[in-house]
Amino acid sequence: MADGISAVKSHLAPGRTGPSGAAGVRIAEIRPLTLVQFAAWPDTLAETGAEAAKAAGAKAAPGPGRAVTGTHGVLLRVEPLKWWLVGDTGEAPLPDAGSGAVLDLSQSRTRLNVSGKLAARLLNHVLPIDLSDNAFPENSVASTAFHHVGVTLWRDGEGFTVFLPRSFAASLCEILTESAAQYGLEIA
Amino acid sequence: MTARRLDKGGRIDRTRPVNFRWDGLTYRGYAGDTLASALMASGQTVLGRSFKYHRPRGIMSAGVEESGAIVSVGADARHEPNVKATMQELYDGLEAKGQNAWPNVRFDLGAVNGLFGRFFSAGFYYKTFMGLPPFEWGRGTGLWMQYEKLIRKAAGMGRASRAPDPDCYDHAHAFCDILVVGSGPAGLNAALTAAEAGRDVMLVEQDFELGGDYLNDPAAEADRAALVAAVERAGIRILTRTTAFGLYDGGVAGLVERVTDHLAAPDPHLPRQRFWTVRAGATVLATGALERSIAFANNDRPGVMTALAARSYLNRFGILPGQRIVIATTNDSAYGVAGDFAAAGAEVVLADARSDAASAPEGVSLRPGLAPLAVLGRRGVEGVRLAARSGAGWSEAAREDCDLLLVSGGWSPVVNLSSHRGAKPVWNAGLACFLAGPTEEPIHMAGSTDGVWNRDDCAASGVAAARRAMGEVAEAPAPGGWAHPIQPVYEVRLPGSKVKAFVDPQHDVTGDDVRLAHQEGFVSVEHLKRYTTLGMATDQGKMGNVIGLALMAEALGCEVPAVGTTRFRPPYTPVAIGALAGRNVAGHFKPLRRTPLHDWNLRHGATMTEAGLWQRTWYFARTRETIAEAYIREATTVRETVGICDVSSLGKIAVQGPDAAEFLNRVYTNAFSRLPVGRARYGIMLRDDGIVMDDGTTWRLGEADFLMTTTTTNAGKVMVWLEELLQTRWPDLRVHVTSVTDRWAGVSVAGPKAREAIAVCLDEGIDISNDALPFMGVAPVSLKGGVKGLIARISFSGELAYELYVPADQGEAMMDLLWPAAERLGGCLYGLEALGALRIEKGHVTGAELDGRMTIDDAGLGKMASTKKAFIGAALRQRPDLTRADRPRLVGIFPKDRRQSFNGGALLCATGKVAGFGDGWITAVTHSPALGHWIGLGYIAGGHEAWAGKAVTAADPVRRGNVEVEIVSPHMFDPEGVRMHG
Repeated sequence: MADGISAVKSHLAPGRTGPSGAAGVRIAEIRPLTLVQFAAWPDTLAETGAEAAKAAGAKAAPGPGRAVTGTHGVLLRVEPLKWWLVGDTGEAPLPDAGSGAVLDLSQSRTRLNVSGKLAARLLNHVLPIDLSDNAFPENSVASTAFHHVGVTLWRDGEGFTVFLPRSFAASLCEILTESAAQYGLEIA
Repeated sequence: MTARRLDKGGRIDRTRPVNFRWDGLTYRGYAGDTLASALMASGQTVLGRSFKYHRPRGIMSAGVEESGAIVSVGADARHEPNVKATMQELYDGLEAKGQNAWPNVRFDLGAVNGLFGRFFSAGFYYKTFMGLPPFEWGRGTGLWMQYEKLIRKAAGMGRASRAPDPDCYDHAHAFCDILVVGSGPAGLNAALTAAEAGRDVMLVEQDFELGGDYLNDPAAEADRAALVAAVERAGIRILTRTTAFGLYDGGVAGLVERVTDHLAAPDPHLPRQRFWTVRAGATVLATGALERSIAFANNDRPGVMTALAARSYLNRFGILPGQRIVIATTNDSAYGVAGDFAAAGAEVVLADARSDAASAPEGVSLRPGLAPLAVLGRRGVEGVRLAARSGAGWSEAAREDCDLLLVSGGWSPVVNLSSHRGAKPVWNAGLACFLAGPTEEPIHMAGSTDGVWNRDDCAASGVAAARRAMGEVAEAPAPGGWAHPIQPVYEVRLPGSKVKAFVDPQHDVTGDDVRLAHQEGFVSVEHLKRYTTLGMATDQGKMGNVIGLALMAEALGCEVPAVGTTRFRPPYTPVAIGALAGRNVAGHFKPLRRTPLHDWNLRHGATMTEAGLWQRTWYFARTRETIAEAYIREATTVRETVGICDVSSLGKIAVQGPDAAEFLNRVYTNAFSRLPVGRARYGIMLRDDGIVMDDGTTWRLGEADFLMTTTTTNAGKVMVWLEELLQTRWPDLRVHVTSVTDRWAGVSVAGPKAREAIAVCLDEGIDISNDALPFMGVAPVSLKGGVKGLIARISFSGELAYELYVPADQGEAMMDLLWPAAERLGGCLYGLEALGALRIEKGHVTGAELDGRMTIDDAGLGKMASTKKAFIGAALRQRPDLTRADRPRLVGIFPKDRRQSFNGGALLCATGKVAGFGDGWITAVTHSPALGHWIGLGYIAGGHEAWAGKAVTAADPVRRGNVEVEIVSPHMFDPEGVRMHG
């Protein structure tokens, strides 16, 4: 099966905009996106978490607001009872429901990586959460809002990965790249 | 006023001249100047005209409280009115103009208004023009509407550009432990103390330089420079040219940063301004204090300014604003100013209203016991008459020639921001000023904001405020600090004199206006404010409020605190609308949603329309086709062969869990518990009050796995509703709901040849025959090329129809298979307009019919409400008024003369009884390709059976009049549904 069409391809033409000098921000779309949601019931939290961790190839499932990277992908705790298993293969066989509910959300989000020295400053133009190193260290996860749209944010080793609902992605991407130009923007 | 630039001194850079234009002529200032200082140094004295009387006005201050030098800056689309010249940093090419004057501020014909001053007293237009006797006695305000236009034209401030704002603006969020507002002695020390204790500190300064009052005193430069260097070393985030305009709940401060307003040629990628939302653990307000004037005759003449302002022009901008200076004071603060001017070579007379004042600085001639009574000179200051106390009043005692009159009537701490938080200012009679009232919030006052007058005490006050902000106990210097107490003087006038002594110069409010308000029965400060407009100009009472209150107190025979004070509200200084909007303008006003097929649709000739936040296909016009021709062709093609429509925007919610069927059973009016896997069912959900909320089909994909579809526009509302139910009413149910709208690209393939078109696109061996996939069947599907998805046999159009869903990124691949197949069969792409025509023919309801007022019976779907189970809305839908037989019912509408058309929104009335709201209304109309004439859907009391054979008029009085219509069954085409079951 082909990779299909990105929601933001025409909005993220590779290149450099903004004042000369080193780019303060780099934005890149990472696709295809495999996204599987594991949802627990209040009394199966540990069990469902263990199943999610196993699917991710991680030792244990992350606690609220955290992420762990396993051999099969990254596991984000996006809600008190929900994890997202994020992979790079596009579509993948869905694990068994196990003790909770499993849902394929692949391609429902557009995944952008925002990196560079001024990545946090750029994201704070649109995200109302504290992104300082102390408040939001590596592997922090937040469900937050970007221009009234619910988005998910993960601080990875190289910057931030933001998951935009696919239908809003082009519109939100325009705001992000317009804001980023002032810092020098490199689109990979 | 005979101002001149000094050869040395000040903080301006004489090696960097800056050219700017004022009223069309080029002048020169220096880097470090404000527009006001550069104009003053260029010999310009009249910079504005007053609001009502068009009196000449000059520079009155050196800050945000400016009420005289209010000008327009920029040209064309960037023309900005009401800029305070005292706050506008000078840059090369700056273009500024006087405003509220014709032909210019130096010679303004509008000044004739001054001659009619006695007619323009407080509330003059209410008395004079409203219900103008004798023409309008008892007849309202018709003439007033005409006068108002003329009055507004004559009065007012500058005019805004009508062109769209060409600049962009940013929003930004920031977080800190301690936010320090103001960078004077108190603010710098507060910021440094907190940062050195390891706190994350933001320091905000509205000026373009840090230092506050330090900037006005060359002797303090070493202290300032050391503090600023320490603050920068400490890693404090510093925002200059940034105004904290408001404080809000939870430690939130609103800031506006003027990013490029001071630049001649800014980088086009930079925003003009940046609107910050700062969330601070604690806030230190070191916002300083503003010097007050005194009300006396002609106290608004160019050449009258506050004492501190003059000191700023002398020491910061290197300008000697006058040669022969009279300084009128009520307190100690003007003594330093007098000394500075004497040292600079001016002739200085210091008139102190107190008779037991301190000794005069060197070279200053002190006149104790005297206060300013009247300014001499028409367009500038030529002298001043001074008065001495005489009993309870004043009598003229002296006259001084001068070219500059400086006034210090006392100081008003800037308590605005704490007042925003509801901390009511408290009057301090000893200091004759309001101080911030107590607050439970982590807001700490520092320096002169707290009534601390001496610089060293201000520094200590800043340290103490920072320590309190960090949760420590710290004693701060007490308010005050003058060697000799202030003697409050708010107004100086001779008994019975009729003069213009301004309290609020920006709105031309005089002492007489305040007394008139009292005389006419206004005693509350809130009424005084509204009646006289005192404090309602762009400075929001920074100059005049305290004087106005004091005069009202005097008129009432009480003390100032008994009159009270109005609450300050944000913004502290005006905020551009553009900054509030940020980047959320034009196409980004609302977030825009595009379906996965958006670009594909555009490439294939779609015209788009808005549906909620979505961009949806409206119609696909072929060459020279109008919208009507296009949708009629599209709808006809669907009925005859096959059409494809993008339905990706329909809301899709995964409902999962062992109790999912039970949950749906409670949410929908009809039963879902026994829906087999692989089948879909149409469902209607009600609100608690029994009114229809939304409808759609729900597909059972597995025992514990459902896919609910909703209407495009109600998807968000339904999702929130389901989550609320699960979290608050039925937390015992094991159900998760998740929006999967964005996961899928979906199309409806409808028409007699739909099955044929789809079949050739499927992988070998996939059977969608009537037996394999009957009406309302759902199955996984695999398209050629390996794209996997879902197929459901569902019809909104009334034709044989399928919905096909594939993962969003594969949507175009699906279309590239389906469209050629449909095209070969003579099919078409169709949009919302044709979809509307098809569903109206069938009597299928949408948001136009389910408008939040209708019951399930009204919509003709009452049979779907189960009588065997409980569901949301089941009880309240039985209310008597919702079960009346004469309630409006869904009906179809034909024009009696089939050649006629009619409008949605028209009222349905019995012919001959067109009145009031009629008996019903029309919700949707279309030309019906299948029937060959216009048809409509609507509601009418009792439904179509009650109106059989009766004459009905579709009344549309405000558009194109009335049309005779027939009321028919809403199922106007293929009522048995033969076509979609085929």
